[in-house]
Amino acid sequence: MLYLAINWPHVWLVTIVGFCMVVLLLVVLIFFLKVFGFIMKPKVKAVKPQQAACETVAVSQDTKSEDMTLTANAMAAIAMALHLYYNGVHDEEPTQVTIKKVERRYSPWNSKLYGMNNLHR
Amino acid sequence: MAEILEFFQTMGFMNMSWQQGVMLIISFFLLYLAIKKQYEPLLLLPIAFGMLLTNLPNAGMYHSELWTNFLDATHPDYHSYGAIMREGGLLDILYIGVKAGVYPCLIFIGVGAMTDFGPLIANPKSLLLGAAAQLGIFLTFLAANALGFNEAEAGSIGIIGGADGPTSIFLTSKLAPHLLGPIAIAAYSYMALVPVIQPPIMRALTTKKERAIKMRQLRTVSKTEKIVFPIVITAVVALILPDAAPLIGCLMLGNLMKECGVVDRLSKTAQNELMNIVVIFLGLSVGATATAASFLNIRTLMILAMGIIAFSCGSAGGVLLAKLMNVFSKEKINPLIGSAGVSAVPMAARVSQTVGQEENPSNFLLMHAMGPNVAGVIGSAVAAGILLTMLG
Repeated sequence: MLYLAINWPHVWLVTIVGFCMVVLLLVVLIFFLKVFGFIMKPKVKAVKPQQAACETVAVSQDTKSEDMTLTANAMAAIAMALHLYYNGVHDEEPTQVTIKKVERRYSPWNSKLYGMNNLHR
Repeated sequence: MAEILEFFQTMGFMNMSWQQGVMLIISFFLLYLAIKKQYEPLLLLPIAFGMLLTNLPNAGMYHSELWTNFLDATHPDYHSYGAIMREGGLLDILYIGVKAGVYPCLIFIGVGAMTDFGPLIANPKSLLLGAAAQLGIFLTFLAANALGFNEAEAGSIGIIGGADGPTSIFLTSKLAPHLLGPIAIAAYSYMALVPVIQPPIMRALTTKKERAIKMRQLRTVSKTEKIVFPIVITAVVALILPDAAPLIGCLMLGNLMKECGVVDRLSKTAQNELMNIVVIFLGLSVGATATAASFLNIRTLMILAMGIIAFSCGSAGGVLLAKLMNVFSKEKINPLIGSAGVSAVPMAARVSQTVGQEENPSNFLLMHAMGPNVAGVIGSAVAAGILLTMLG
């Protein structure tokens, strides 16, 4: 009796249409994201082989143009170096090494005369 | 002497029914789970304490009869918040925020402010996995109907499969407010049990070779994309499905505040103070609905049982669709990230990472799994909107 009381056509309609609508709506969102991704994704200018070859010659005659394309590790190293440079994280070493004469003012508190000799009587 | 007798008669102990005693024991058990086992303690603790307060005899903090009158079209206090303010206790007044659907939306602002949609923008196909993981919602809707729940109740039970607490509460408060207590407790308990429920399903549906698949690194996402994303999603979803606008709108508002970078104070407030305050109110008032009369019946057990079915079907749906996508796609995806399509952010993504690393320790799936994971949040909100449109 319980099964007969349920409006099964409507239940199936909600189940199938509901799930299909979720999928459909998210497919629409995928389309929008793809379009926006295509328009807005950060564009990295690729080094043209001819240009790269010229630069390579200038640096070294032996280097081939393929060597100018950067690997992910090299990019990460350059990025880290730039970050350290611009944020002043890297220590700046002093370029002059000098030995300064250290002058201490006289104080009875560290005087050997008062501190030791006078006690031995 | 008469005063002493009257004092004794007003004591809670003298007025406690055995059902209230059982509810107090259940609340102690939930408090134990929240504190000792740390199962979603941020929400389970206030929920359990709300349950404790509401079942204290003569405390008068929550009156279920007022809310019955509120929903009764023949009663003079039908839809009268004034009657609630006049006659209600503290928890009745806090519950107005649930009834009006305010708290889940405010929580979604905080969730949005804490979520990074970058992995989803980088790989929009993740949205398909998020959609497939909503399969559990609709299969459980079918099962709940077969077990004798009406359609509105079945929709509220099915939404547990979305593994999204605020969405479950939002939809249940609209469709079947009398089931709010058991559904909220089931949703948050199963979310806490994601690391226990999902791995066996993931292992059963995938081969060792599939679990070891390494995925290509995701592309970088520009700041402009991250700013435009919430605006576009809100506009598109709300124009197609207006009933999903409150949840999706609030989620995306929080995310926009985070990504635009010009309202840091608002973003931090949404992530911390606002979120924490609303979690306290929401937890207490949802726990308050778990009165002995509404909780101690066979239907609660059925809801708990169907909740776990919903959750398992959702996880399985995501994994199976990922396998299907591998058949048609050149670039292989690890099917383990499919199970992260149920929301439960970021727990489900962490489970994908952990299970993936069991097969291949050098495999890092976390960021790939975050895509379907945040897609699941959008998917469950959309599913709630669809159920609200069709059943509300």
